[in-house]
Amino acid sequence: MSTESTLPPEPNPAIRRPSRRPEPGGPFAFVWDSVKMAWRWLTRMRTALYLLGVLALLTVVATAVPQEPNVPSTVGRWLTGEEGPGAGVSRVLDAFGAFDVYGSAAFLALTLLLFISLTACLIPRIRAWVRLVRTSKPPLVRHLGGQDQLATFTTDRTPDEAHAAAQQVLGERHWRLRAHAGDPPEERTAKPAQVAGEKGLWSREGGSLLFHLSFYVLLAAIVFGQLLTFEGQRGIVEGDTGFRDTAVSYWSYNPGRWFDETDHAGWRLDLDTFHVDWVRDPLAAGAGQPTEFRSEVTVTPPDGEPYQAEIDSNRPAMIDGMRVTQLDWGYAPRVVVEVDGEVVHDAFVHATASDGGFFSGAVKAPAAEPDVGLELFFYPFAPEGEDGQPVPTGAPWDDAPMLLFRQYRGDLQLGATQQTVNELDTTGLESEGGAFLRPGQSVELGDVTIRYPEHRRWVGYQVSSRPQIPALLAGAGLLVAGLIPALYAYRRRLWVLAVRDEATGRTLVTVAGRAFQRPEAFEAEHAAIVAELSAATGGGFDEAAEPPDRSDGSGYPRATEDRTDHDGDRPDHDDLTEAPTIRDRRTDVLPAPARSGPPSEVVRR
Amino acid sequence: MTQDLAELSRVLYSPTAIALYLSAAFVYLYALTTTVGRRDERERGRKAQMLGAVLTVLGLTAHIAHEIIRGIVQSRLPLGNMFEVTSLMALVGILVGVGYLTFVRKRPELNGFALIGGALLMGMSMLLYAEPGPLMPILDTWWRPFHVSMLVAAMGIFAAAFVFTGLYLLRDTGERAVAAGRTSVTRGSTVGAAYVGDLDGGGPDLDDDPDARDHDAEYRKALRAGIPIVKLAVGTFVVTGMVSWVWWVTEDSTRVGVTRFLTVNLVMVAAALLARWFVPFLPSTATLDGLAHRTVAFGFIMWTVGTIAGAMWAEVSWGRFWGWDPKETGAFLTWVAYAGYLHARATRGVQGRKAAWIGIGAFVVMMGTYLIANYVIVGLHSYAEL
Ligand code: HEM
Repeated sequence: MSTESTLPPEPNPAIRRPSRRPEPGGPFAFVWDSVKMAWRWLTRMRTALYLLGVLALLTVVATAVPQEPNVPSTVGRWLTGEEGPGAGVSRVLDAFGAFDVYGSAAFLALTLLLFISLTACLIPRIRAWVRLVRTSKPPLVRHLGGQDQLATFTTDRTPDEAHAAAQQVLGERHWRLRAHAGDPPEERTAKPAQVAGEKGLWSREGGSLLFHLSFYVLLAAIVFGQLLTFEGQRGIVEGDTGFRDTAVSYWSYNPGRWFDETDHAGWRLDLDTFHVDWVRDPLAAGAGQPTEFRSEVTVTPPDGEPYQAEIDSNRPAMIDGMRVTQLDWGYAPRVVVEVDGEVVHDAFVHATASDGGFFSGAVKAPAAEPDVGLELFFYPFAPEGEDGQPVPTGAPWDDAPMLLFRQYRGDLQLGATQQTVNELDTTGLESEGGAFLRPGQSVELGDVTIRYPEHRRWVGYQVSSRPQIPALLAGAGLLVAGLIPALYAYRRRLWVLAVRDEATGRTLVTVAGRAFQRPEAFEAEHAAIVAELSAATGGGFDEAAEPPDRSDGSGYPRATEDRTDHDGDRPDHDDLTEAPTIRDRRTDVLPAPARSGPPSEVVRR
Repeated sequence: MTQDLAELSRVLYSPTAIALYLSAAFVYLYALTTTVGRRDERERGRKAQMLGAVLTVLGLTAHIAHEIIRGIVQSRLPLGNMFEVTSLMALVGILVGVGYLTFVRKRPELNGFALIGGALLMGMSMLLYAEPGPLMPILDTWWRPFHVSMLVAAMGIFAAAFVFTGLYLLRDTGERAVAAGRTSVTRGSTVGAAYVGDLDGGGPDLDDDPDARDHDAEYRKALRAGIPIVKLAVGTFVVTGMVSWVWWVTEDSTRVGVTRFLTVNLVMVAAALLARWFVPFLPSTATLDGLAHRTVAFGFIMWTVGTIAGAMWAEVSWGRFWGWDPKETGAFLTWVAYAGYLHARATRGVQGRKAAWIGIGAFVVMMGTYLIANYVIVGLHSYAEL
């Protein structure tokens, strides 16, 4: 206890290394040594940062290489060599898990190592911090030599009164204080009476710990989030039958491992109207840009009254704890296909926007014999040209809609091959020609009649359940809350020492301060404290104010190579563990205690 | 009417604001050279600083007027595309840089560097110029301006930190060279070297002491000579090239691409050489290093908060808070890079030059990911579509 009170705690509390245990000898010595070396390597802060760096590089790989969970079809084309750097390179990439970086063993192993390393770094730091908070006191000093900031003034109060005033002034400024009088007697005799204070020692390190600990909250939220989350997608046509939230009704369905099918609430969503608009004037600024995406929907809870709701691009709807977001939209022409007068297809077809300024979709009618397949191209704005033929434009508004199609007959191989809904796999099919239709028109190709009575719009919704969001927000809040003191709490120490000057009968008050970070910002604070203290004690500056000597006697300020300039941080781990009293190499610059100056004439090192 | 206003806002930006900033910068740089001169020179320097302040305020007025008029023309906050974001980044950078140097650090003679940095950024933004227009509805939410402006401000702050870091490295190189061969500079006397480093410290009277003046001039020359000019030029070209290749690759016409690449690189080389010339007038290395550290620390907090806000916006708009799209990856990489810098600063043994190089690298990561994400890979963050 007593050693701790005379030595100032390190700015970062000292970390106690565990004592060495007896080591096994013999044939296992080598193994044991390797394990120890690996552990030591792993628990260094630098290692953790290298691990983090490697993880960061992997995220770059994941950006450059298509990822299986997001774009499986692209990955497939890379693997066959149709796209990307060729089949050979792709196989190598695949072997290293580059097509699923975030699910790869390497990524998981590195994350695990990082957190082991982080834990190993943090446990001793937390213990040291707790020890610091519980036991440390601002250190008392024998001499006030060697401090950054030093100022003296005289007062008629007694030293005790001056100390009491110092306690008050510093206390109001939230310094942590230690009064000499409160110490055990054997310490009191060793040091002159004084008030010692410190600031920022707990908060800076505490903030840093909070910041690093928030990573665990974030990690836990992400891991449990992956398990508990649910995400599904589904498109709905305006005014058509909506969909019910059940496992089978989604087009794409991605539940976390712990998400149960019974977790679906079973509400029902209908799209009443979809509003979409653009800047239509081709000369206006931002021509062609969309200005509105908004769905008016009807929600029917499983056991409640239906109600109306609105879903905007930035205002998703919350239904029974599930978030419904607009993801996508397109036109949905109603296509009726009759073969020999018998209807084999009558439905709204989801046509999705493509780069060419049209919307494409497909009709698959296996009810016919042989199957009928249509490739659809919907041009929303294809006005008639001078020759009466439609002229497709890239405009997305449906002022002059036209449906272009190509018909195929043959075996669609539904169920036999993997197919996307709105693309027709035309291999092995016979092309039967095509035509274009305006709304309400129909055309006969052989025994097939194709009608296009109307079109509507469809909207793709994502339904997601993310119970991890509150935990993530809490983690992010802790991260910021820790970061601010970690970077902005500055560690400072201050001593106020009042002695009776027998010659004059007055009390000489010395205020010394030390800044571990940003000493230049401490100058002003120190001066303010000195001024406040001298005002509180009726201190006077009646003696001639004399500028202090320059340290080297040259009359010049410090040489340029002096790296402890008053700007910038100095290394935290500098020789700060020394008690101020043994910094004798600096005592030669101390102004003689008898000299005093106004507080503004602070002697600066 | 709106057409006229749009035109007005553009003219206010370029050339008006850019020209004002640049002239202010040159006036400030001149003032900087007088701080080690004779009394009458210092007097002239003070007048120059006042002129610089007036020009800066005029430039800021033009710049802010540009933002406001542009906002009125398109009836929305001007934060919707790359041009607008870069323009605001420059505005924040200049405001924060000049305000910090003038009012906090009380070193207005250094304003020239902040202004040149801002003007360079604005010149670059003209490559991305887009006429005012409405916003895609997906971008129209409260989260967006919050997220974007935080990140934009952080980018401006990191840019200022980059300037300080570069100047620190230059000054440090010069000082080391002088320290290695000091006696040849000051003819056996170490007095000369002792005061030039710190401008606010007074120093010997240069008016009445011709000897001190000689030492002073010689020390300045030696500092400059200590920085190898070819190495600096080539180094700047290479470091800039790590980012500017993006223009080369993405421009449809190779000729235009190469021209842009070379323009950006050569402007940066010129800036580096100019900075080299000013090295003797800079504050001490410790001051520059401290400035760099403080600005990075502030920028890092902004970057953290801005990225979190971005994730919240993504959750609301796209139904997922993080999807590793190119911009999100870029934000993460930049965050890790600057965390590396802060760690280096907090660790014994990686102070000074090593930490500074990490800082330069972090800026390269930030600019690189920003440009690559916007030009090479266009993700969901579609405001890059000009
Ligand atoms: C995402 C990763 C990380 C970030 C962003 C980060 C950030 C920071 C920041 C901002 C500081 C404060 C620096 C200062 O006081 O100026 C800090 C300090 C520290 N960090 Fe980290 N850190 C990360 C990971 C780690 C890991 C993995 C470890 C250890 C295994 C670690 C160990 C430390 C230590 C020991 C300090 C104290 C340094 C000091 O104040 O003297 N950090 N970190």
